[in-house]
Amino acid sequence: MTAMVEFTLDGRAVSAPEGELLVHAAARHDTFIPTLCHDSKLDPYGGCRMCVVDVEGSPRPMPACATRVAEGMVVSTNGAITDFQRTLTEMLLSEHLNASPGGRPNELLDLANELGAEAPLILPDAKREEYDDRNRLMGYDPDACILCNRCVRYTQEVMQCSALSLEGRGGQARIVPTWGLSWLDTECELCGGCLSVCPTGAIYEKFEEGTKRPERALEQVRTTCTFCGVGCQIDLNLDPETKHIVKVTSKDEYLPNEGNLCVKGRFAFNFVHHPDRLTQPLVRGEDGELHATTWEHALQVAADGLRGVIERHGSQAVGFLSSARLTNEENYLIQKLARAVVGTNSVHSCEST
Amino acid sequence: MLALRIKKAVRKGATLVVADPRKIWLTKLAKRHLQLRPGTDVWLLNAMMHTILSEGLQNEEYIRGFTDDFDAVREIVLRYPPEEAEKVTGVPAEDIRATAREYARERHAAIFYTLGITEHACGVDNIWSLSNLVLMTGHLGYESTGLNALRGQNNVQGLNDSGANPSYLPGYQSVDDPEIQRKFADVWGAEIPDKPGYRLDQIVSGLHDGRIKALYLVGENPAQTEPNARHVEEGLEGLEFLMSQDIFLNDSTRKYAHVVLPASSFAEKDGTFTNTERRISRVREAAPLPGEAKVDREIVLLMAKALGARWPEYPDAEAVWNELADLAPNWYGIRYDRLEENGMQWPCTDRDHPGTPYLHAPRPALPSGRGRFFPVEYQPPIEDPDSEYPFVLTTGRTLYHYNSANMTMREPGVVDKQERPFFEIHADDARGLGIDHGQLARLVSRRGELEAEAHYSERVYPGLVWMALHFAEQKVNWLTHDVGDPLIGTPEYKVSAVRVEPTPQAVGDGR
Repeated sequence: MTAMVEFTLDGRAVSAPEGELLVHAAARHDTFIPTLCHDSKLDPYGGCRMCVVDVEGSPRPMPACATRVAEGMVVSTNGAITDFQRTLTEMLLSEHLNASPGGRPNELLDLANELGAEAPLILPDAKREEYDDRNRLMGYDPDACILCNRCVRYTQEVMQCSALSLEGRGGQARIVPTWGLSWLDTECELCGGCLSVCPTGAIYEKFEEGTKRPERALEQVRTTCTFCGVGCQIDLNLDPETKHIVKVTSKDEYLPNEGNLCVKGRFAFNFVHHPDRLTQPLVRGEDGELHATTWEHALQVAADGLRGVIERHGSQAVGFLSSARLTNEENYLIQKLARAVVGTNSVHSCEST
Repeated sequence: MLALRIKKAVRKGATLVVADPRKIWLTKLAKRHLQLRPGTDVWLLNAMMHTILSEGLQNEEYIRGFTDDFDAVREIVLRYPPEEAEKVTGVPAEDIRATAREYARERHAAIFYTLGITEHACGVDNIWSLSNLVLMTGHLGYESTGLNALRGQNNVQGLNDSGANPSYLPGYQSVDDPEIQRKFADVWGAEIPDKPGYRLDQIVSGLHDGRIKALYLVGENPAQTEPNARHVEEGLEGLEFLMSQDIFLNDSTRKYAHVVLPASSFAEKDGTFTNTERRISRVREAAPLPGEAKVDREIVLLMAKALGARWPEYPDAEAVWNELADLAPNWYGIRYDRLEENGMQWPCTDRDHPGTPYLHAPRPALPSGRGRFFPVEYQPPIEDPDSEYPFVLTTGRTLYHYNSANMTMREPGVVDKQERPFFEIHADDARGLGIDHGQLARLVSRRGELEAEAHYSERVYPGLVWMALHFAEQKVNWLTHDVGDPLIGTPEYKVSAVRVEPTPQAVGDGR
């Protein structure tokens, strides 16, 4: 057990495990401290200063995302600090001509809204040069980027690869794939972890352009990914009208993937709505080709086909190869069909590899 | 995704050792890479155990308390000294010793393995060797330990749990146990055939020897995924009846199926998947089915009805789950209402059971409560390279595609990363053959041949070539041989002998 420490939060006596980050300790005591560059998956950074708090005895405000609680600490999250946060928000806003292109979720604008902050002016060099890349999965909008470096830190700390870096200074600073290459040509695995931690939607799914709805109107359905055996928990984000999957997201509290996804889980769902999908039963005709037909006819041909083989050669002449794409329930029914209806235990799959 | 957990552990100070014939990405983070020759795992593992026993690093308490037949293993592994292992595996003896010591001395030491261990004619031997190593050190039954099979497919664990297995009814209950048969027969209202059925490899060989006359495929494409795939295709062609339920046509069904029923993707149905850690998670319907396609549950129910069966209604997936859980004791306590958060890990025997994150805690989860050592002698791979086929071909998957790639090849953004068939070859080998990087070259085995881009790669060593199974137009399984493990039939996808030659159209100068 970690030792607990007592400290004072906005005049209240509270406790927290020793060494816990102040921002997390405060959250557990229902005190919300705004953050932008902070991500609990990443090492403490303290870059954007949005989370600063007053700590008694400290000559200047301290970032709650990089300060650990200590015995007897006296912390204040309101008062003068709120003005500081508003000013900081205004400074960030003034660096963007259009802080929220495409209507994507934007924590900076949320914060501005909450604090009543408005850009007092737009800096002359606010409009950064547009960026484009030939990859078809992820886009980057320098104008929406607040340079919090969460994306770069994600690649370094979670993926432990060198996919992105921060390049340039001042108004020219931007996030770019390492060495200025295309995203397709670096060590990047296209997992999209960078866009999942981006607070302002500066890095975004290009798919998203497939829906006209602002993103917050998308419906979310939680499910389990259909690719590998990890069983990542994902939210399918659907256009409420077309019911098409627009993008896939996850959340930090989801197990076993803790909000992380790979390139397939995040991006490779185009197959669901692909025009090649089978939409009608097919039966092979006299001409040797497959032809669309009714369910009734197809089921009849299928049943006759199986029955014919059973009559001529016995039940053991029928084999079933089931699929790991199917659910447990479907596999249960398939083996029941094989055993209880056809009369064979020969039901298997690629499981034996 | 699992690599992320490993990366996280390494960042926190864990020691990582990678044993793989290829220099995979994780070797960058590894303290040591044991680059063994494909198929020599038993030598490597026996030599590690040799070190552990000669240096007295085994966990005597665990061996005495929880295992049987240790002496048989001791006797065999002492014939596998690391110096000899170096000659067979190519891994320096000192690396074998150092790894054995580190593994044995660290209390939180876990082994993760996947198809590189199983896809051999000695796949079962490989597993037994790993199991011997784990039992000898007692590294199982608590956090960050164990012998962890990493499942490559979303529900490959669950389909086996649910009974799509020729020897087991749902919940690993033997088909030849009369009491079990009666239990299922009572609920199903039908007799259960009492002989185990054919395994995958036996079904596939049955296509040729006449045992199998009809095949019911569910989302499967054996003409791409099974070894010696041309031969499989001939078998499919000879069937009296082939039917499939699937979301796309594939190379098995396009030419050979008599009936194809349009089925559902994961996004269109309710149910559960079981992941590699036995965690059962909910699958939820989100999108509508295309055209007249139906959910697979409904298709099976319609087929049962068309064949004259009188089944319950099963109005939803949950009704099916409840029947499964009622019949399978280790699943009994898991019901949909308990799966909402982050799923549950079986075994879970009643409604109050919390599920089981660590299977063999506190002792091996077998009726005897004791783990058994299985002594294993090395068996060389079926096909060794020779003068005609001098290269070892080993096969696998990539991050960007999924199995036969029916799903991922339909994602342009992913295809941008990997579009055309390629194989990896060491630059020295390729140059010697006059093959340029990126140039089309031919791989030829005793079964067949294909053309793919030669990619110079540091991941393979001279003499080894590697190719993924994802490419429908040039199938690596045209090359692989179909002699599998004698006990369970798992094919030896990891070792075939091939030769590499430039294509006649493009003879390069080996740049």
